[in-house]
Amino acid sequence: MTAPVISNVPEPSSDEPTPHRPAPRVRWKTPRWMRGTVLVWIAAVVLVVAVLCAVLAPWLAPYDPDRIDLMNQYASPSAAHWLGTDSLGRDMLSRMMHGARTALLGPLLVVIGSSILGMLLGLLAAWRGGWVDAVLARLFDLLFAFPALLLAILAVALFGKGLVAPVIAMAIAYAPIVARLTRQLVLAEKQRAYVSAYRVQGFGGGWIALNRVLPNVTPVVGAQSTLNFGYVLAELAGLSFLGLGVQAPQSDWGSMINEAQVGLLSGHYLPAIIPAVAVVLVVVAVNILGEEFAERIGGNKA
Amino acid sequence: MSLLEISQLTLDLPGGKRLLHGIDLTVEPGRTVGLVGESGSGKSLTARTALGLFPEKAKLGGSVKVDGTEVLGLSGSALRALRLSDVAMVFQDPRAGINPVRTLGDHLTEALRLGEGVSGEAARKRAMELMEAVRLPRPEKHFHQYPHELSGGQLQRIMIAGALMGNPRLLVCDEPTTALDVTTQAEIVRLLATLRDERGMGMLFITHDLGLAGALCDDVVVLAGGRVQERGDMAAVLAHPTAEYTQRLVAATPSLHLDDAVPSVVSGASLPDGAGSASAGGRHEAAPAASQAGAPEAGRGTLAGDGVVEPLLRVEGVRRTYAVRGKDPVTAVADASFVIPRGSALGVVGESGSGKSTLARMVVGLETPDAGTITVAGKDRTGTPRGREARLAHARSVQMVFQDPYLSLDPRIPVIRAVRDAAALHADGRDAAAVAKELLDRVGLTAEQQQALPRTLSGGQRQRVAMARALAVQPELLVMDEATSALDVSVQAQVLQLVTELRAERGLTVLFISHDLGVVRRVCDETLVLRRGEIVEAGPTAALLDHPAHEYTRLLLDSVPRPDAGWRLAG
Repeated sequence: MTAPVISNVPEPSSDEPTPHRPAPRVRWKTPRWMRGTVLVWIAAVVLVVAVLCAVLAPWLAPYDPDRIDLMNQYASPSAAHWLGTDSLGRDMLSRMMHGARTALLGPLLVVIGSSILGMLLGLLAAWRGGWVDAVLARLFDLLFAFPALLLAILAVALFGKGLVAPVIAMAIAYAPIVARLTRQLVLAEKQRAYVSAYRVQGFGGGWIALNRVLPNVTPVVGAQSTLNFGYVLAELAGLSFLGLGVQAPQSDWGSMINEAQVGLLSGHYLPAIIPAVAVVLVVVAVNILGEEFAERIGGNKA
Repeated sequence: MSLLEISQLTLDLPGGKRLLHGIDLTVEPGRTVGLVGESGSGKSLTARTALGLFPEKAKLGGSVKVDGTEVLGLSGSALRALRLSDVAMVFQDPRAGINPVRTLGDHLTEALRLGEGVSGEAARKRAMELMEAVRLPRPEKHFHQYPHELSGGQLQRIMIAGALMGNPRLLVCDEPTTALDVTTQAEIVRLLATLRDERGMGMLFITHDLGLAGALCDDVVVLAGGRVQERGDMAAVLAHPTAEYTQRLVAATPSLHLDDAVPSVVSGASLPDGAGSASAGGRHEAAPAASQAGAPEAGRGTLAGDGVVEPLLRVEGVRRTYAVRGKDPVTAVADASFVIPRGSALGVVGESGSGKSTLARMVVGLETPDAGTITVAGKDRTGTPRGREARLAHARSVQMVFQDPYLSLDPRIPVIRAVRDAAALHADGRDAAAVAKELLDRVGLTAEQQQALPRTLSGGQRQRVAMARALAVQPELLVMDEATSALDVSVQAQVLQLVTELRAERGLTVLFISHDLGVVRRVCDETLVLRRGEIVEAGPTAALLDHPAHEYTRLLLDSVPRPDAGWRLAG
């Protein structure tokens, strides 16, 4: 009732709407009628299948993904090759399974990296406030202005092709999204009386921030990170498509689409469509699950 | 014919849970019926049915007649007509009920212009009339103002004016003053009484405060658990409650007992100025504001004179100012000086903006005063502690119980762990787990509740946890900042009882901050009154409340809703 005039001002100034980079804006907002358990279950099944394929690829894959069989180019799906073969006669199913490893591992590393980095920076900015907050906020703005894909390409140009450089670059590019969210949540949480209560009890600021406030904002941040997974997957596939990510002969969904381009002109659609559909399916599935998480957490908080 | 006739009203949720069990209620023209109950009693649900407002998909039974027209099952357009001209409602929080981006004039005239096709000029004239009627000072100016430019009390007047635009015959008020200060509450309630008499309206007044109902209402219906517990003439029910629930409620309502003859501990209590109370109260110092109020050097003299027993809390010349962007700085606390003897309880009374919470935050070390010193048991405790040792020492000096128990407990931590963590931090060789268990047992939580997360507990239970957590640190001083104002009266009474018991058991010194004079009277030996950051009066509680010296204290006392407050009469 008698909250002091100033400390009640909820949001410090650096919260003005900032230019969002285009990528996260492409969201598959599932229509209301489709929301709910059935869709969520389908999404979960799709993801579990993808993950199982990736993990068990060496044992499940019927062929060596890199084995070239020039006698058997562009074979149609059959009992021997369930998904047919590509321009070099390699088994599509085996390549898809092995490709799932890089396609899923990359985004996973990016999400983990960006979450840790973003949460720590966001927590630091919100908790310390003042000039620390101001400097970090400008740093986030700077990174926001940079498309993630561009940063990844830059990293490739500097450090060479492969998975490592783009993953690190994307982790840094996605950290501000997490950091900004964390910062807002922590600022709101900081106003709550329980934080004051911990202070009055004699707990130190760092302890409260790391052991009490951070766990309370983690569920919401986690839901956002799940959504990020989908975007990163699509962007890394795009990088591979450009030939800058995973290098031949290693298989990856993005590079598979790239390699299949030649076939498209001669009417062989399947080698391009299969990895493309896989990317779309996994991204949509991740989005549905992410939205579901976010909604459940939101419901709990209210 | 009765204006409102509710008979055998039942309400079932889709899940099959029955919230209202056959309510009967009538409102006659020109009379005010109080609908009194604690949270969850169904009082708002009942009253809202008069406007055809109820939860979606709820199943209703019985009948609700407004002026002879059955409301239940009325079509959308018929309901709108009813709300436009027959029944109007005033809600609890005026700020939540008004569109912040439109002018007050827009808000007032909208229903007339759009609903009845009245011309803009005519609607404007009517709005002016009503703003005069609700005693707003400058209708012409207010017409073009936005909600944020007005205070809560003024805004509630606008809401009342808006409700009267359609010339309703029945006004439903749902806790219209709960979000307001006591003095503002008194003004609004007087206004409502006047308007009712001028217009011959019937009024259904929902409140949790039996004292407030007593000050305004002719008849009363007491609800609990969706059932009518008692009904009848207001004064008669207050004087001789028959239902057991009403008896408990009457006993638990602090403001009703403001005039109880509390045996005065202090001999000089009847002296009109602060001098008697200051000298009689022993080491009580209330300078310099109190000296303006008539307390001369005597107060200081006693303090300087005794000097033998160091008071537990000594606050000297404490000041706190906040810089406001683009405006003059706001002084939250100006040169506050007072002491609390060991084992005593001091009440700090004031309205919102009086600086009482800032004072509390400075004492517990959440804020640093701009000037002045705070000492607890002879040790300097001014400002926020730096470093682990200072933090722990400060924590052992002062602990705090916060206002809102829904926010002051970490939502993720089970209550026993919260208490254990606090005890472990200040272990001193104690077994933290045992300490936590013992304290939670003491404040009356079952073993099952002790393992629970805060969200599964009620407000009263949470506030008990907060007290156990504060006591786990073994503080010398306990600060309670509006610690009971978010609670229902019966729960508040239990918590206050607990405070009294703990004080007796542990010799705890308490700084008790509240806006409710009745509550302060129950708990505190001495009281000081804050207004806009300044201490205007201080002294032993009984003496201060019986013989207020400062006009502001008198105003506060007159604003406490009581059956004999005389607000029912127009004027």
